[in-house]
Amino acid sequence: SGSGLQIKLIGRARAGSGFNTRGVLAMRWSRYNPYYLEPEVRKEVYDKPETELSDEEKEEQSLKALRPIKAATNSVTSSVFHDPVISKFINMMMKHGNKVLAREIMTETLELIKRKQVEKYHKAPEGKREEIECNPYAIFHQALDNCKPVVGLTSIQKGGKYYQVPVPLTDNRRRFLAMKWMITECRENKHRRTHMYEKLSQELMAASMKEGNVFKKKIELHKMAEANRAYAHYRWW
Amino acid sequence: MAAQGGILFQEKVSRMLCKQNGKPVLKPNKPLVLKDSVTSRKPKKGEATCITELSVMMACWKQNNFVESLCSKEMDDFYSCVGKAQASMKNTLGETTLQGGRLTPKQTNTLLKRHPTLRFEI
Repeated sequence: SGSGLQIKLIGRARAGSGFNTRGVLAMRWSRYNPYYLEPEVRKEVYDKPETELSDEEKEEQSLKALRPIKAATNSVTSSVFHDPVISKFINMMMKHGNKVLAREIMTETLELIKRKQVEKYHKAPEGKREEIECNPYAIFHQALDNCKPVVGLTSIQKGGKYYQVPVPLTDNRRRFLAMKWMITECRENKHRRTHMYEKLSQELMAASMKEGNVFKKKIELHKMAEANRAYAHYRWW
Repeated sequence: MAAQGGILFQEKVSRMLCKQNGKPVLKPNKPLVLKDSVTSRKPKKGEATCITELSVMMACWKQNNFVESLCSKEMDDFYSCVGKAQASMKNTLGETTLQGGRLTPKQTNTLLKRHPTLRFEI
């Protein structure tokens, strides 16, 4: 399907090209000329008045009037509810391109987290009510932040042997590891007859409270890195 | 400047090859022609960055039994150090001239490819 998406319908000589059978021309995953600029989806950028723009931003804007711009993907929106972290998580959960199912699971997870938190809120006494976080997005972000490892371990060869060396990770790598651990934990280590959204909500709420298997996995990675801190000098970058 | 010394150099080489004045100094098994590329340098092995911050943070972890909320200051120091190191790495990657005003091996190779030694006269 990858090569099929890149073929444009040119000329009548192609069989079945009497009309556009796809409905839309599949342009996004064909390779754009590097001349094309990325689309700017965020509304805040366009709300800024002219006076507040710095020189570089003014240059960029004048460039956008002249250069062609790539088509935006289906997954980006300029709505207030668009969250790139959640989009990334949905993409990582997706299997066989079934984005609809992955999004369903994500919305059900957030709804279930909200329900549980609201239940706790109503059951709690007056004094404790402010501490209960009801926003599922806040819980999701807190859980991911709690699961992000600070350092990772890489295999470095020195003198014929391989050592596990503690190494600082980039932000993207840390976020990826947190999400990957969360998803694999929910897929593999839970009872098979529970729905994914139930498993995810349990694990996310536990991680936001700094409990649960994913948090434990992160702490174990930190412990391993601490145990191997003597090999930190084997790094050369 | 290489062109002026070029003829003298060629004469010196031909004197080394000829058998008129005793045994020849050079007996090459391949034609004496330069290659159209330069060998690339081994990138210099740097040192591990941010080791002090890393060790301080890990000592703090060990003390507090890996509870991260108590070590926030050390972790912030570590992150800032890592950010600086990554920024400096990015800056050094795109450097065009080596020290001494010379070209990088990549640039030299592109130039030599554009003007290779002529193998045939046609």
